[in-house]
Amino acid sequence: MATVTASAPRALPGGLLRHRAAQKLLLLALAAAILVPLANAKWASGSWPEALTVDLTNPLTTASNWIIDNRDSHPLFLYGFGYMSNAVVISVRAVYLVLLAAGWTGVTALGALVAWRVAGVRLAIGTAAAFLTCGLLGMWVPTMQTLALMVVAVLASVAVGVVLGLAAGLSDRLDRTLRPVLDTMQVMPAYAYLLPVVLVFGMGVPAAVLATVVYAAPPMARLTSLGLRGADKEVLEAVESLGSTARQRLLTARIPLASKELLLGLNQTIMMALSMAVIASVIGAGGLGDRVYQALASVDVGAALSAGIPIVLLAVVLDRVTGAAGERAGGEHESSPRTWLYAAVAAVAVALAGRLAGRLDWPGAWTLNIAEPVNRAVDWMTAHLYSGVPVVGGTADWAAHFTTWVLNPVRSGLQWLPWWSVLLVVAALAWLIGTWRTALTAVLAMAAIGVLGVWTPSLDTLSQVLAAVAVTLVLGLATGIAAARSDRFERLLRPVLDVFQTMPQFVYLIPVVALFGVGRAPAVAAAVVYALPAVVRITTQGLRQVDPAALESARSLGATPGQQLRQIQLPLARPALLLAVNQGVVLVLAVVVIGGLVGGGALGYNTVFGLAQGDLATGLVAGAAIVCLGLMLDRVTQPTERRAKKGA
Amino acid sequence: MNAMNAMSTPVFSVEGLWKVFGPKAERIPADPALTSLEPAELRARTGCTAAVRDVSFDVRKGEVFVVMGLSGSGKSTLVRCLTRLIEPTAGTIAIDGEDVRAMDKSRLRELRRHRAAMVFQHFGLLPHRTVLDNVAYGLEIQGMSKAERRARAQEVVAKVGLEGMEQRRPSQLSGGQRQRVGLARALAVDPEVLLFDEPFSALDPLIRRDMQEEVVRLHREEGRTMVFITHDLSEALKLGDRIALMRDGRVVQLGTPEEIVGSPADDYVREFVRDVPREQVMTVRTAMRAGECGGPEHPGAIAADAVVAEAIKVVADLGAPACVVDDGRCLGVVDAETLIASVAGRGVVAADAAVAGTAAAGADTAVAAGSRAAGAAPVPKTAAPAERPPATPPPTTDTGAV
Repeated sequence: MATVTASAPRALPGGLLRHRAAQKLLLLALAAAILVPLANAKWASGSWPEALTVDLTNPLTTASNWIIDNRDSHPLFLYGFGYMSNAVVISVRAVYLVLLAAGWTGVTALGALVAWRVAGVRLAIGTAAAFLTCGLLGMWVPTMQTLALMVVAVLASVAVGVVLGLAAGLSDRLDRTLRPVLDTMQVMPAYAYLLPVVLVFGMGVPAAVLATVVYAAPPMARLTSLGLRGADKEVLEAVESLGSTARQRLLTARIPLASKELLLGLNQTIMMALSMAVIASVIGAGGLGDRVYQALASVDVGAALSAGIPIVLLAVVLDRVTGAAGERAGGEHESSPRTWLYAAVAAVAVALAGRLAGRLDWPGAWTLNIAEPVNRAVDWMTAHLYSGVPVVGGTADWAAHFTTWVLNPVRSGLQWLPWWSVLLVVAALAWLIGTWRTALTAVLAMAAIGVLGVWTPSLDTLSQVLAAVAVTLVLGLATGIAAARSDRFERLLRPVLDVFQTMPQFVYLIPVVALFGVGRAPAVAAAVVYALPAVVRITTQGLRQVDPAALESARSLGATPGQQLRQIQLPLARPALLLAVNQGVVLVLAVVVIGGLVGGGALGYNTVFGLAQGDLATGLVAGAAIVCLGLMLDRVTQPTERRAKKGA
Repeated sequence: MNAMNAMSTPVFSVEGLWKVFGPKAERIPADPALTSLEPAELRARTGCTAAVRDVSFDVRKGEVFVVMGLSGSGKSTLVRCLTRLIEPTAGTIAIDGEDVRAMDKSRLRELRRHRAAMVFQHFGLLPHRTVLDNVAYGLEIQGMSKAERRARAQEVVAKVGLEGMEQRRPSQLSGGQRQRVGLARALAVDPEVLLFDEPFSALDPLIRRDMQEEVVRLHREEGRTMVFITHDLSEALKLGDRIALMRDGRVVQLGTPEEIVGSPADDYVREFVRDVPREQVMTVRTAMRAGECGGPEHPGAIAADAVVAEAIKVVADLGAPACVVDDGRCLGVVDAETLIASVAGRGVVAADAAVAGTAAAGADTAVAAGSRAAGAAPVPKTAAPAERPPATPPPTTDTGAV
């Protein structure tokens, strides 16, 4: 029925689109012609005018001081946040103690058996090997700390996410209100969530858990809602035609039909929780992340690596096991309760055996100290590869060149631009790609940065983001196109991408510090490495999903491979390419701000500085600016329709 | 027996039913200026789409009532209105004399649980359940205990020929087997009426024929009332005791297969049935001429409701006119001439009057449906439909549209 109405605008797509783009630009130019002279007359051009900033330092410091003073006395904290915080501490502690009591044998056996039941023998062996490696690296206790925090955070995230997802899945009105919020939360850098929770809860485990929950719950909520809404309409109709009540429909049809999405949500929640639990070491989460953080602070790459490897192993194992569970959902591999019982009994037996054998803690003699050899290797690298390698130069030289020839010019260029021209460019880009709404949001977000008084550092961060995005897109699109054209290359690439996409952001800092030392260039390098897999994957998928009939007809007309790519594949894959850009930008920003930990400076550094010095006002303002920057970058690159699921 | 059924309360009685989608849909049926508009104009004027427009009919106990039309004619919406899976906009629906539109939630649930069960085009099975649990699902909804519902489901599974597949999942079944599960699920609740929404149009032709015969068999064994939606004319002619032909939300003709093929109400219906092999549908009753064979031996002796194709065979073998016999009494005679005239669609003198009457009434459907219930009894179908050779579908109807 809709075809009649839809066909009308499709009649003249190219002309109309160009026409519309020109219209938008014209309108914008008109608005600029009126507003810019006014703004220029009132406030000088150049950097963001002083008169338009609002200094939040005093009110924020007052608020933060008030909270610190009243944390132990005010009823809001005593009976509200206090209970929450206590509950979190007690549950994390309880899980931690249980994990310790089970001993390394028990935990390894339990992990392996669960993996066996939900994902098969190979993953069970992999899981056991991963746990044993954690012990071998002398990281058993930090691993258990991280795991305990994760267990509590994931349970809470899933509970919150499922409740929100059910609400949004069942009520259209709630869905309309929740969806933009969840969409926006999903593009926020993890880093931005740290400061508000610290303000309320102070540094420590409760803040870490809550930040993790806030960060990890949205995917669960989104996918729950998506699953409930995506259920086969006819099945639901059939269930209704048999006279089911609303409750029966939900329990016997809608939720089981959504099981695939629910498990995918669980998978994403776990991965995001791990990512955040590691970053939250900055606000006192402890565990593996803390080891990495401390090691990075003293540029001890070896120590960072021996904590980083368990994080990667944990991530890969958790991702594969939950992913396999999702793939099996709805299949015929339902395991009976009895096999679960056997698995549980076996795990308990192994735990008891370990306990009786007096091997509760990981035996000290079995640890392998990789920190020293790694550091020696890094030292050798520093000595031989950093600089002065004939012809190619050294890694530090590259970093320095990149900083001098790319980062610095971009930064000074951005900072040299009059403030209103930055707003204009943002508006034009966002409007051309998206709608006037996205343009307005983007401009307001950018303006908010100026109002917050962090215009200069924000442009610094932006310059890093732009440089990283440019590198990411060049590398990512080239790799993506290559992978889409060669099956062999894609087969080789796939496992690499799989591993890279599951790793928490934090881990990427370790190798870049080893290679490039500290500074802005390593932060950019980490961001590129982090964002690359998603961009490659989305590009490849987009190119491969191009209508084969269109491609075949082009081939039958004798188009060369180049012509096929330029004239058929790339234009038809446009939505996917735009999504790749959007994802690239969002992921790059997430890591660029974390780069503040390794000398990236700008907003990321302000946040860390605020946390470290207890100067929450500086940190909060920087955090808010990161949020605004994230919002702006997402909206500027947001194609009109957003994909339901994210690549990363 | 059919005459008696026609007198008793119809299972479904639909009167002036409207379903309009769009903003402020209620105003459309009430406004004569809008109801007379063509669909496209109505949409342009009001933004509304009338899927079902002023439809009236009765479904009698024990009959197979087919609603047939091309895609977009409103037939699927119509069948969903019967149990209010889609809420009608105007009109009345009664099941056994009880007003369906006035039912509250629990009464409606009761109706769906026990009185009308539906079979869907794409089966609507729960992928995470076994065949047995899918079949037992309706009973589970009713709150029946596990052992009891499984025993009942087992019986029904056997009835539709799925023994040995109880523990499979829908994904492990072929299309035809899946639809058998859908059918079994509907049968398991022992409903008064079975509603079929294009149940076989997603199946391969051969499987479709098997399933049609399955439905015919079930109907013969149980005599359950069925409302059958289809876009396939040959399916409609094969299964239907009566057929309502829909176009753009209206019923353009309602009658027995023979009436639809023999005396199309308008050019649309005529175009529709043009390629139907008439000898497979028309009965001897309409092809015979008055006359007596003049003796007790009744040469040929064909039943009045045998199809013309059979009579042709008899007359050809006999080499002489055959006698049409009902209850040992001679009703008339068929010969080569009358049979050829019938196949050619040239009216035969004796039968014309009765059929022409229905055709005239068919122009106004609401009246036709009502009047036929009281007056002209439908031709009883004693010959088992399964034995009737399947009619070849006319190319215009077999769109394969889903």
